[in-house]
Amino acid sequence: MPDKRNVSISFTVNGEQFDDLTVSARQHLGDLLRSQGFTGTHIGCEQGACGACTIEMDGKAVRSCLILSSQANGSNIKTVEGYDEPFMKIIKDNFLKHNALQCGFCSPGMLMTTKEIISKKKKFTREEIRAEISGNYCRCTGYQSIVDAIEESIENIH
Amino acid sequence: MKAPDFSYYEAKSIDDAIKFKSEDDEAVFLAGGQSLIPALNMRLSTPSCLIDISKLSDLSLIKFENNSLYIGALATHSEVLNNNIVNEKIPVLKNILKMVAHSAIRNKGTHGGSIAYADPAAELPAFAVAMNAEIVLSGLKGKRIVAANDFYLGLFETDIMPDEMLIGINYPCLKNNEYIVFDEVCRRHGDYAMAGLIARVELENNNIKELKLVFFATGDRPDIAYETAKIIINEGYDYLLTKKSLNSELEFAGDLNSSPAMKLHLATILINKALKKLEK
Repeated sequence: MPDKRNVSISFTVNGEQFDDLTVSARQHLGDLLRSQGFTGTHIGCEQGACGACTIEMDGKAVRSCLILSSQANGSNIKTVEGYDEPFMKIIKDNFLKHNALQCGFCSPGMLMTTKEIISKKKKFTREEIRAEISGNYCRCTGYQSIVDAIEESIENIH
Repeated sequence: MKAPDFSYYEAKSIDDAIKFKSEDDEAVFLAGGQSLIPALNMRLSTPSCLIDISKLSDLSLIKFENNSLYIGALATHSEVLNNNIVNEKIPVLKNILKMVAHSAIRNKGTHGGSIAYADPAAELPAFAVAMNAEIVLSGLKGKRIVAANDFYLGLFETDIMPDEMLIGINYPCLKNNEYIVFDEVCRRHGDYAMAGLIARVELENNNIKELKLVFFATGDRPDIAYETAKIIINEGYDYLLTKKSLNSELEFAGDLNSSPAMKLHLATILINKALKKLEK
């Protein structure tokens, strides 16, 4: 029986190709990304509750702490550093304008979740925005300003 | 925390996965991993090997056949939520899935994974029991179908044998006069419920003819309250009467957020809330 404690993987992060990286079977993707320099992805709870480690994998928002590095083989990943599209500038500007961050620990996850909200291309009430970001903890702002920023971003972009 | 040490094996086919698992008692299947990996990170589980089945094709099929909705084990919650067949045939499932964790987790977590993991606080096992679903298993000895009522044996424990794998769930459709009503109490949208109820109701002339009450996050598995359902049918809802009945027929297990007494109270008022939804 094969006993593979290490796995060789290849994947793309923000357009950059990584080939034949040897990763430990038990390592989660969030740690792998940080070890490769993508430190915008923050690791908080490592149990899927806080949302700080949210990234985009093959076009969908996922928790990088709940995916093994080995499962990322062949995937296309985008982290918070990987967006130079105008819509992300609008979102970031709105976060600044509304003071939607203080310590900044939750912000990468908040931005990734906002990106997912925007991609749904529909109107959101404030309550629906709150439901959408319910998977992202912020311990500074009290969320009011984050909802303000997301609300204005949706208006600006759509 | 970080996951304990284990090895990783990417299964090449369903048969390959089952064969590998049958040779290693301590190995577990990895589908979406959205419950398993938190458990590993918290060191609640220490398997020898994770058999990755997430890339097997054909297991995420959703189809409607013989008046039943079939959901393949690897269909993600997001795929089920946005599936037109599901929304046409069992629309209530969409409302239930919206309560399952958060968007980023639903993008990865699978329908079959949630059914097989048998977390007593999860919505889908209770839903499967309320729907009288058929759990489709594939094993070394061939296919086997288990009624959801008989599938859950205890805390994280199911009838799946070591040489079997859950490949899909079959939901027979409700009759025209049958309804599923659903409610839960949780501290944050998307978190595990403190207590939840999925009720299957059959109406006749606006009266309840049949009632199946399935609770989750109350005990060690989806809890069916048969006696309480009879009392509701015969005498209607009364808080004290219902609470007394639930207390005598179910065993409430407390957790970090709520004591057994709290769960008993929540279960009682959930019945009232669910029945009120039915009147609308």
